This record gives sequence, C-alpha cells and structure tokens, in this order.
Amino acid sequence: MNPLHGNDWPDAPGAGPLGDGRFATEAVHPRTVDEVREAVTRQAEAGRAVYPQGGRTALDYGRPPGRPGAAVDVSGLNRVIDYPHADMTITVQAGMTVAALRSVLAEHRQRFLIDVPQADRATIGGVYATNASGPRRFGLGPPRDQIIGVSFVTSDGNEVKGGGRVVKNVAGYDFPKLLTGSMGTLGVVTQLTLKVRPLPEASALVWTRVPNPDRIDPLLAALDASSTRPVAIELLNPAASWIMADAAGGWSLVVGLEGADESVAWQVDRLGRELEGFEYQVHRDAEAEPLWSALIEFQAGETGALACVANLRPSRVASFVRSLDPERWAVQAHAGNGVVRMRGLGDWTEDRAAAAIDAHRATAVRDGGNLIVARCPTPWKDRLRVWGEPRADWALARKVKRALDPRGLMNPGRFVDDL
Amino acid sequence: MSAPASPTTASRLLADLTAVVGAENVLHHRDEMLVYECDGYVIEKQAPDVVVFPTSTEHVVAIVQVCNRHDVPFVPRGAGTSLAGGTLPVGGGVMICLTRMNRVLEINTRDRYAIVEPGAVNVWLTRALAGTGVHYAPDPSSQTACTIGGNVATNAGGPHTLKYGVTVNHVRGVEIVLPDASVVQIGGVAEDDPGYDLTGLVVGSEGTFGIVTKVIVGLTRDPEGGRTLLAVFDGVASATEAVSGIIAAGIVPAALEMLDNIMVRAVEDAFHFGFPVEAGAVLIIEVDGVEAAMDREAQAISEVVQAHGGKVDKAIAWRTRKEPEYMAIWKSRKSAFGAIGRVSPTFCTQDGVVPRTALPHILRFMEGVSERLGVRIANVFHAGDGNIHPIIMFDERDPDQVQRALAASHEILDECIRLGGSVTGEHGIGVEKMAMMPKLFTPEDLAAMAAVRDAFNPDGRCSPSKLLPTGGACIERASPGRRASA
Repeated sequence: MNPLHGNDWPDAPGAGPLGDGRFATEAVHPRTVDEVREAVTRQAEAGRAVYPQGGRTALDYGRPPGRPGAAVDVSGLNRVIDYPHADMTITVQAGMTVAALRSVLAEHRQRFLIDVPQADRATIGGVYATNASGPRRFGLGPPRDQIIGVSFVTSDGNEVKGGGRVVKNVAGYDFPKLLTGSMGTLGVVTQLTLKVRPLPEASALVWTRVPNPDRIDPLLAALDASSTRPVAIELLNPAASWIMADAAGGWSLVVGLEGADESVAWQVDRLGRELEGFEYQVHRDAEAEPLWSALIEFQAGETGALACVANLRPSRVASFVRSLDPERWAVQAHAGNGVVRMRGLGDWTEDRAAAAIDAHRATAVRDGGNLIVARCPTPWKDRLRVWGEPRADWALARKVKRALDPRGLMNPGRFVDDL
Repeated sequence: MSAPASPTTASRLLADLTAVVGAENVLHHRDEMLVYECDGYVIEKQAPDVVVFPTSTEHVVAIVQVCNRHDVPFVPRGAGTSLAGGTLPVGGGVMICLTRMNRVLEINTRDRYAIVEPGAVNVWLTRALAGTGVHYAPDPSSQTACTIGGNVATNAGGPHTLKYGVTVNHVRGVEIVLPDASVVQIGGVAEDDPGYDLTGLVVGSEGTFGIVTKVIVGLTRDPEGGRTLLAVFDGVASATEAVSGIIAAGIVPAALEMLDNIMVRAVEDAFHFGFPVEAGAVLIIEVDGVEAAMDREAQAISEVVQAHGGKVDKAIAWRTRKEPEYMAIWKSRKSAFGAIGRVSPTFCTQDGVVPRTALPHILRFMEGVSERLGVRIANVFHAGDGNIHPIIMFDERDPDQVQRALAASHEILDECIRLGGSVTGEHGIGVEKMAMMPKLFTPEDLAAMAAVRDAFNPDGRCSPSKLLPTGGACIERASPGRRASA
C-alpha cells in the first residue's frame, strides 16, 4: 500500500463504486485509446491506482480494491474495428457489450462462443478480464481458445499489443492468453481479436431427471463415451433444478446438443436410447432458449450473499457435488469441464461459511483443483481467502505482474496473492 | 556471459556435467557436435560446447545449476525439427537435449489429459491413445519426429488446427525448470486454476523462459465420423477462392489444405496416391462430426467446389482414421516437403499467414514475385488457416540465385504483414525471423515482451538471442534455409 495514499478513500459515492463498498477518487470515461492512455498516465503520475471498468457486472469479484484510485470506464470504447466475416474473426474494442457483439455477428449468421450472463451489460473486456464462461465451454472451448489478439494500456501509459488478427500466429509471446483472466491487473484492455463461428442450424437440450444420485457418476462416465458429441454437460443438484426449471426438485443432468439438423436429430435419438430407463424431456431450438438462458444466468443469480466456484478433475465432479448439502447450496456443474458453481442458500455467518468453504476447498484441492469465492460480504473476504489455496505458480505470476506494472497501479489488491 | 574461455574451465564444466548425468549422457567431442550445430534451419551453424541428455527433472535442475555456476548459456533441444533455428546454441554453451526424457507418464481418458515428458515424440502419444476414443489434437506434419516439448516451445500447429486449434489450446500445464534452477508447476490437470494463464504464456516462448520438463496435455474426443475430399482445380486462384467459399458457406472443416501443380506432381511421384497430376491445384478438405451429418456437409462442399470450377475427385468416408485411403492421403500431404527434393536440390520454405480471404491475393503476389525474380515457387499449405508455406527453389551453388531466393522470401513475408497477417504461423521466430519482429510489433510491444522474458530469465542465460531482436541480432541473413516440413 502506498503510504501517501493509503488512507484517502473517498467516503462519498460521487465518482461511483469500485466494488466492495469502496468509491473511486474520480471516474474517467475515455472514448478513444489516446484518452485511456492520458487517463492512465495522469493517474500514474499522481501515484494513484487505475481500476478498469466495463459493464460493472463483476465489481465485487475478487478481493477489495487495495488503494485509492480512479475508475477508468471503457464502455465508451465500443466500436467494431474490423469484421472480416469470411475469415471468421472480429476485432472489437473492449467496451462493447456481449449483446451488441452478438447482434453484429448475427448479421452474418455467426456467433461469439462464450456464454456470458447479463450480456446486455457485460463487456467483452470484462468477459476476458474475469475469464467468464458457461455451459457450452465444454463443446466450444473456454475464452482462452477464442482470443487471438489483444491490446492493452499498461501503467506507463503505452498501448501494448500481442498476437494479431489472423487465426494462426506464433510471433512473440502470447499476451492474449496472459491477459485472459488477469482481472485488469496488467493493464486496461482496449481491443480484442476473437475467433467466431457459424451459428448452428439446430440445438437441443435434453433434460434428464436422475432420481437416484448413485446413478450420477455412471451416467457422466457413460456420456463421456457416448456416440453423441454434446456441447454442454450440466449437472444440477435439487436446489439448482428447482431454481432453473421450477421442477419438483431432484437431480438433473442436462445435455446440450448443437449442429446441423441431421446431427442434432440423430444425437437426440441416440441419447434417448443411451438414457433408457431415465425420464427425460427434449427441448429444441427456440423452445430450448429459456432453459439455455437459465443455465447461463445461474451464476449471476440474486439469491444469497455467498457464491463459490470449484474446479476439479471431471471424474470427481459427481462425488464433489453430492457432498454439498442441497439445503445450503444450489449447485450447477459444467460437469465435462470440472467447473462447479455453488450458490449459498439461506442465512450464513462468517464462521459457518469459513468452515464449509475450508472443507470443500480441501476436497477440490485433493481432486486436482481449487475453490474460489465469487461473492461474499466484504468483511469475510480475508478469512474466506477468496482466491483459494495458493498455487505453486503465483510467485512467478507476481514477477510477471512486476514486469508489466512495476508500481502496482493496475487494479491493485483485487487478484491472487495481492497482484 | 561467455562460453568457456580456457581448456581448464571447459574441462571443469564437462566434469561437473558428467558428475550430474554420467558419461553416457554427455557428448563433447568435436565430431559428435556436428548433428547439434543446427536444426531444420541450416543457414546458421554454431556447435554447443557440450550436449547433455538428462533423464529426470532433477538432472535438468542440476545441469542448470552447473551452467549458472560456470556462467555459460544453455539451450533446450528436442528432435531438432525447428525450421527457424529455435535450438541454435547462440554463443555456444550447454545444449540440454531432452530426447531421453521421453516417457508418457500418465493417460487419463476420463479426465481428458495425459502427462508426458518433453522428449516424447508427438506420434507416440497418438499411438498410445489409439483405441481409447480420445486423441491429442495437434498433429504437425513432422509428428513422427518432433517432440511434445518442441511443440510446446513453438506452439506448433498442423493440418487440423482449423477446427481444433494449435498446441496452446491443448496444453493445461507444464513443469518448468526456470533459469534460476527452481522447479515450478504451472497450471494443472484441472481447468481454470486461479491466477494468470502462465501456461498460455509459456507455450510458444521458444525456450526463452526455462526448460519444460513435463507437459500436461488435454485430450479430445475422436470424431464419430468424417469425410475427406480431394477437390481438383484448374489453378491456385480458383482453389483459394473455393477456400473462402467454403468458410463463407458456414462450414468449418477439420482441415483444408492446398497443393499446387508442382507439389501435386512431386507428391504423386513419391507416393502414388492417385493425385491427378494435371491439376492446377488440389484441395484436401476434411469435415468431421457425427456420421449422420457428414453426407450433407460433404455435399455442401462439393457444391462450393463446383461453383468455383473445380470437381471432387475422391471422397473418403471414414470412421476410425485407420482406413487405408485415409492414411494414404494424409501420409502424402504430411510428407510433401520430403517429396520436393525430387524437383529441386535446394529450397527454402516460408511460414507466412494472411487472413484467409486474402489467399487469392497472396498467391497472385507470389506468382508475380516468381516471374519478376526468376525463382520457382511451389505451394503446399494450410489454406483454411491462411497459413502459407511457399517453397522457394534455388541452386545454392549460384550466389545470384541465393540472393534472389532470399529477396523472394522477404517480399512475400512483407506482403503478409501488409495484409494484416504474420511472418510465422507455426514455425516460430527463432533466430531466423528476429529482424522481422519490429515490422510486426512496436518498440513498446517489444519492450513489454522483453520485460516479461526478463521476469523468467533475468540473466538471459537460457536460450540467449532468440525470439526478440537485440541490437546485434538484426543482421541480414546470407542465405535462405533449405529443408523443411510443415
């Protein structure tokens, strides 16, 4: 913490929130990259921090802001820079919303491959800063697989780029990957180049009830060897089933299928045979949209002050999810990827939250992953260790951080290990 | 930093390295060094002082400690298939050859990962996974020789990257021995570990961050079925326009490769697959997915091919990739660079990238270069990715031809840059293309990259003078490289 500026947090919300109840010293709204550079340079000269903001859908994500500084709102940088649709790439400014990007791509029957909640507000820059994803990451890949170029303004006020605009390019270090999920701690992302894909002709969700939870793991293992090629494999515990589908409760396994008409028709039929003995419903195309939406928006749901995300080996998902008390947690697992989203139900105290999270985190770590706290009351954040068990590569991450932001001005305090 | 200066220091270095790995894992006689003085990029040669063959991570740690103690540079090497001088031991020093760390340590099909040592050959993993229902997707044309560690260093590609992505999309984590001899586990078997994606940063860093000693790769479900079509065209112009047509029709092929007439003839001479030798150009177009959708997808491609004046000469329906005709067509394609020896004794290949819609333009441009400079240029490349590999043929005994071949290379790569592309899609910068980095990146970009490299490699002892230009490195090459596969 900078001793000169450690104690001068504004106590009024005049310049807007930074997250976790803290307010910006000022808010700047650049419309151009040069204005971003000027804003960052000005803050850096004053020794103040820079907090990049987009749609403000994840302001409370991570640890609390570490020192006073300005909110740099990039939502004014919202243009399409280049959309050579026949190349299946698009270059956009970071402040463009996911919804706006989708409508641009839809004109050429193409799509952005990442499922993002609150797409009307969430920006592409924010999606990449937070490494957002949803059900279809199983079939379409995580954000890191779609990004091929990035530009960002570092704390010395320079715009730096990595990658390029072509789908294959190994010139220079892969800054697009480094910036993905870096939580704004390396610079203000200004521009991204992404791979896009044609919209599928058809889609379907096969919603299966699993009355006996002992059957979950064998079912997941069978899906892994299925003749079908799902784009999503979602496991919902009874509480999550109830929230999403208003169903009577019970365990659900939801399989997403996409592709050509024949492909989806064949897979639905095939899956039906593989699921013999289970009760399932098939939702096709437009009729499936509300359920897709429920599966995507679950992570942003309003219920409860506590939310966690565990990552572990996919083969451990069933036992991990079953170990979570369904009275206390609504749980959605992107089961094929080993990503488990947990929403706390009812009232929690810090003590109860800490005890539960410590126990489940230990399990996730033993199963090859970790458990982070996506949402909790600010005062609990230290004790709950929101970024999980320290990882072996964090010391190296700190060196990379120092290389690109030697004074620690970019989004300080918020990420792992005080990055 | 300097190479061993006197016989005494050199013998001490040798003794220390021998103490680590044993005499059977050290080479140091002059004649033993010949193999190691260059890789697939043969223009610059520099023998290392010593080659060591560690068999464990502990060995690598101890070797790096010895190098640091003696203040000598070190460079990792796998099979030496780099086409850009990625393993050239600039300044001499110790070459750490990882070919004896070559085990497949673990295969976990349910969790879709495998853990391999860096010296494991790419195709060994393919074979180890045969019949499991999953595969390791990156399949560079040199896959029968190149190592996974080398693939990680260069972020290698191959024909199937169009749909499945390149190496970085299939690496979940690495164990790396940093230049300070510490061992760090980066990433892991699970996805989405909190923290920076250092795995993504290390892949493609061309050995400048440390020595990777284990690789956790992700595995991909085998497709349920597929079609591989051979489409024949009058010339490269209509073939490349068909490439754009296929993509514009909303089809994402698994692979989309082009061979021009020179290459079709060379490959047919060598492998007798049945390529039509009169064809101006052929496309190998592969789609995969569930079998039920394949006929219509193949039909849609046929229509695009016909609309561009071509015709589908062969359509191979496959389920396992073991069908003889399937294996034959890909063997022909992947061995194409070997076949070019029948046409020209000496050649260099380039590795430019353009937006795929600019393929017709860059092909016309190359024809112009060929005529203007009087050099023959053949083409076999990953058309669906816009990743060109022009093969520039010349007689190395004729200095004038050599200069014209070099000029042709530079003009083509400059045009790739002008079209918004890149000077390398999969081979890497190595030493060959360092001087081109300032054409792609600003001084600020390069300074940021250098700062990140210094975070891993502060003394610059690991793979010095690679990837990023330094003052002394921007020398003009005297002659183009000449052997290749891609």
